[in-house]
Amino acid sequence: MPEGIFKIYCLSEMAVTVEFGQRIAPNLLHAVNSLNALLYGQPFPGFHTTVPAYSTLTVFYDPVLVMKSDLPGADCFEKVSGYLNNLSPRKKTAKPITGDTVTIPVCYGGVFGPDLVEVADLHQISTTEVIKLHSAVTYEVYMIGFIPGFAYLGGMDERLSTPRKVTPRKSVPAGAVGLAGLQTGVYPLESPGGWQIIGQTPLRLFDLNRREPSLLKPGDTVIFKAIDIKEFNQLTTG
Amino acid sequence: MRIRILKPGLMSTIQDLGRYQFISQAVPVSGAMDRLSARMANKALDNRDNAAVIEFTYADAAFIAETDLLISYAGDGSILTSGEHQLPAGRPLFIPSGTIIKLTNTLSGSRIYLAVAGGWDVPEVLGSKSTYLAAGFGGLDGRALQRGDILKNEQRLTDSTKRILKSLKGDKVNYPRWSIAGQSFLPADRKTIRVVRGNEFDWFDGLSITIFLSTSYVIGRQSNRMGYHLEGANLARLKKGELLSSAVVPGTIQVTGSGNMVLLMADCQTTGGYPRIAQVAAVDMPLCAQLKPGDSFFFKEISRHEAEMLYIEREQQLQQLTIAVQSKFL
Repeated sequence: MPEGIFKIYCLSEMAVTVEFGQRIAPNLLHAVNSLNALLYGQPFPGFHTTVPAYSTLTVFYDPVLVMKSDLPGADCFEKVSGYLNNLSPRKKTAKPITGDTVTIPVCYGGVFGPDLVEVADLHQISTTEVIKLHSAVTYEVYMIGFIPGFAYLGGMDERLSTPRKVTPRKSVPAGAVGLAGLQTGVYPLESPGGWQIIGQTPLRLFDLNRREPSLLKPGDTVIFKAIDIKEFNQLTTG
Repeated sequence: MRIRILKPGLMSTIQDLGRYQFISQAVPVSGAMDRLSARMANKALDNRDNAAVIEFTYADAAFIAETDLLISYAGDGSILTSGEHQLPAGRPLFIPSGTIIKLTNTLSGSRIYLAVAGGWDVPEVLGSKSTYLAAGFGGLDGRALQRGDILKNEQRLTDSTKRILKSLKGDKVNYPRWSIAGQSFLPADRKTIRVVRGNEFDWFDGLSITIFLSTSYVIGRQSNRMGYHLEGANLARLKKGELLSSAVVPGTIQVTGSGNMVLLMADCQTTGGYPRIAQVAAVDMPLCAQLKPGDSFFFKEISRHEAEMLYIEREQQLQQLTIAVQSKFL
């Protein structure tokens, strides 16, 4: 599907979803982020917020304010859909969105990465190679979902593809770096989890005291950097 | 105004109308499960609709007035009593200092909302006072209420709230003859939940759709503020493909890989990857909030346009109600 072609469906009385396709692809991610930026630049009356995902942008609004607006249409869905259709990046007015590059220091193995040895054994490589493969590539943030501040990252080396743990852990600490299938990610909060934990970052992926609590946002580039336990402790106390 | 919790009940949390600002960062909306009742409790005091209330689940709770109080409650599942005296819902209630108020369970419904003049005073976290238990923030220290907790009201009251207080104040429990009729907003049939087709409605075969819209479903045991598991006939999929995760909201009905249905509620995740057969009409979410494990009900399909119009209509009625309460105390 070429960039900029989308369909719009109703999610609820206060939200519509703009769907650019049904696969994970850079041009679709770009289309989602472009429309998001465009909409925030030119919001319609009653516009609330958005939730960007792999290939969709969901737009939330206050139905009472949308109904009061001059937008053409018999109901909110028609009014908002009409507005979004005219905002389409087909017009090529949107500048490409470039995210930030975020380096995430990770202390791999040991108490911080209880599954590192298991992952290495499974792939019949050394733990050093696992760390190298994991920290050698750059990742892109596809979307934030699951739990507050959790980033779905794309770009992992296929050689690290690892099945989830047979029995999920009751508790995984905040900052734990895990693998599941072709995905890798960082747990922002302590929670139950079935991912293979290979390390931990001292960074807070979700922090209520920041203006934007989530460290990452869609479109950001992520780099994992191996650190030792001394640096980990310095970063934690500092 | 100040209360102390003597008995917290099974699950009692501070909630407002939700936390919308950070859903793009996967922070759930949260807020009162039954927003209509939360608003009713606030309206009876001429509070802002969004003022923080206590959500009591299956009640069996008690608190003591440590000062004179002006409170009100709405919802289902329990009644407030002071000694032998039943206190009516949907009205401002003046409670003198030292009174012990009990919440006694009733057979129907599961959640009531306790409002206080000005709203309960807890810090705003990410733009809302709602408790989100899974991540431990919002409300009172991000947790459910416990025995011994002290809760205060916000000092700033509207002029009509002040007038209500003045008219009822005395040395015993007092309330006006009028009440705001919360139940009149809800259909007489509480066992039919209206739904709009979800985006993946066509992924299910004709027989499954017929079953979905004609047989009863039961709220499963594994049901909480995040979602309800629905017990009943499993649904067969016509289309087998995978769905990429995208936004879901409270009221979304997802069908899992094994054909079971999950109705998402206030604390649900912000994104999901299961096909969505339907979306509960927003005006019927208060009915869902009052269902409890073991309750059975039916789904009925309405159009997207009808659901929208019902929503707009209810908002207009609620607006008129605020004006009506204010006009009683001009």
